[in-house]
Amino acid sequence: MLTTIATAQLPALSALLAAGALAKVWVAAGKAGPGALGRLGPAVLVADRWRASATLGCAVAELVLLAGLMATDHPLFRWGTAAFFAISTYVLWELRRRRPDAGCGCFGEVSAVPVGLRSLGRTMVLTTMAVGLVWAPPISGWSTVTGMTWPRALAAAAGLLVLAVLSPEIEETAARLRYRAPCEQRRLDPSTALNRLRSSSTWRAHEGSLSSSDPVDTWRELCWRFFVYPGRSGTGEPVDVVFAVYLSGRHPAVRMAMVDVEGRAVKTAPLPESMPVSA
Amino acid sequence: MPYRSADRRRALAAAALGRPLAEPGPISEEGDSPRSITGEILDVSPHLIVVDTPEGREERLVIAPWATAWRGENVAPADLPIGAHVIIRALRSGRVVDRIWADITRITGVIQSAGTDSKDRAMELYCGPHRGRRTIVIPYGASGRLRVRHPKFEPGYLFDAIGVRENGVAHARLPATSQPPYRWTAVPEPPPGYSGTQSRISGTATWSDTFDWGERGAAYPMLERSDSGCQDAEVSCAGLPYLALGSTLTVRNVCAGRASALPIVACGCLAGRFCDRCLECGTSPRGRIVELSPVSFVELGGELTKGCFNARVGLG
Repeated sequence: MLTTIATAQLPALSALLAAGALAKVWVAAGKAGPGALGRLGPAVLVADRWRASATLGCAVAELVLLAGLMATDHPLFRWGTAAFFAISTYVLWELRRRRPDAGCGCFGEVSAVPVGLRSLGRTMVLTTMAVGLVWAPPISGWSTVTGMTWPRALAAAAGLLVLAVLSPEIEETAARLRYRAPCEQRRLDPSTALNRLRSSSTWRAHEGSLSSSDPVDTWRELCWRFFVYPGRSGTGEPVDVVFAVYLSGRHPAVRMAMVDVEGRAVKTAPLPESMPVSA
Repeated sequence: MPYRSADRRRALAAAALGRPLAEPGPISEEGDSPRSITGEILDVSPHLIVVDTPEGREERLVIAPWATAWRGENVAPADLPIGAHVIIRALRSGRVVDRIWADITRITGVIQSAGTDSKDRAMELYCGPHRGRRTIVIPYGASGRLRVRHPKFEPGYLFDAIGVRENGVAHARLPATSQPPYRWTAVPEPPPGYSGTQSRISGTATWSDTFDWGERGAAYPMLERSDSGCQDAEVSCAGLPYLALGSTLTVRNVCAGRASALPIVACGCLAGRFCDRCLECGTSPRGRIVELSPVSFVELGGELTKGCFNARVGLG
């Protein structure tokens, strides 16, 4: 029974190693934006110039262990995994003592929550799982996955459940999904707004009055993005045609105005409310 | 993408959204509203000062008996040297001088290198992509006062001090804030924003001398990098909404009760990296929300040597 439980933790350990390695590579590559160094976890304990290298080194170690566990049944990788998680427990303990403001950095950006007893408990459970694996029958991770039996699947699910309960990242992710930043504070791609503008009926109705298909000015204010095109009014005067696209929603509101060189709005013909259809 | 003018953007946005056109200028006044005058001293006596303004006008102003001047330290107005560049706060319809700041400068940037001389130390600062690099000198006499608030003279840390320009060189005299304990690339995240935006945001308003001489306007941290051409923008620890060059901000000095509508004319990329508070009247919420030109700062009732005031900023 104990042997079955220990063997079943191999896929769970592999999954966590894969997720951790990918997240660390993402953070070290600087994809998380300014201030990301605060999320590097234990790497904040080393000098600035070594932080990215330390994070990448940790990711490489995780990938090597992952590959060894999945492809072979060599005891070296099992001992290595146990040592890795044991050292991680010590490092997190030290991080909590020396930098209580830093997150554990285990899974990149979502691990910005300061290290608490749950994060420490998780690495302890992972260490226990890895030590149990040392005494489990030698079998590669791939063989465990392909030859999964019901008792092993249940034991693996129980292991993952324990890890999920001990993961503050899940609550952080749920909170981020539930409470999105307002549109005014979200970083939004200008090209998406331009595509939405060009697929709108307002654009199609006034496309003919534009002198150029490229905007001469564009800017964002709160949740609106403005595009300015050179154009001609109904009387042939040169005007600036300004479109305002709301940045939230799949079919956003698009507003349009024509402004003459003196800054006065030029009246435009309203859009027809219905199209006459001949029978 | 060419940025044409703040006035044009304001007119275009107002027309597209059907909102009234907000003109920059003071909004509400309580008591005698101060006027700010900049220029070069042509003549000064205990009772009268003559200033040559950037527009080429000659302003003759009466110096009030209570008026004080600052040039590295508090001095009598009559002791200011001819040719000094001054910013004057004037009352009574702008004819009576209340306060004078001479040759004042503010040095805000990221430390690139710091000299190791035991006496006067030269320091090179990175002041943002559009402001470039500046070199300042920290005189030995001011270094103790500065080191109390700026303990790390190391590359990568922020620096903010007020000083004087002497012979074309900026000399730091007063710390404008306490140095943030983090490096400039590791700004703390703003508090999580929930659905719906606030119509008013409170925080700290500071000033900078990198505006054009006599210009009225503000620099704002949360501008899109692609629109503003400022690669260090979009960083703030105050949770600010996105605005653009040309947007109009309503800035209220909570301490003095004065408000003004100001156009955003520059990118406040370094202001957004300071998560400090202003203690001018009570304790402001954390974060610099706007950086004002010296003229606008003085007209809103700010004291240049204090460096900040508690501000509330309205959007749009």
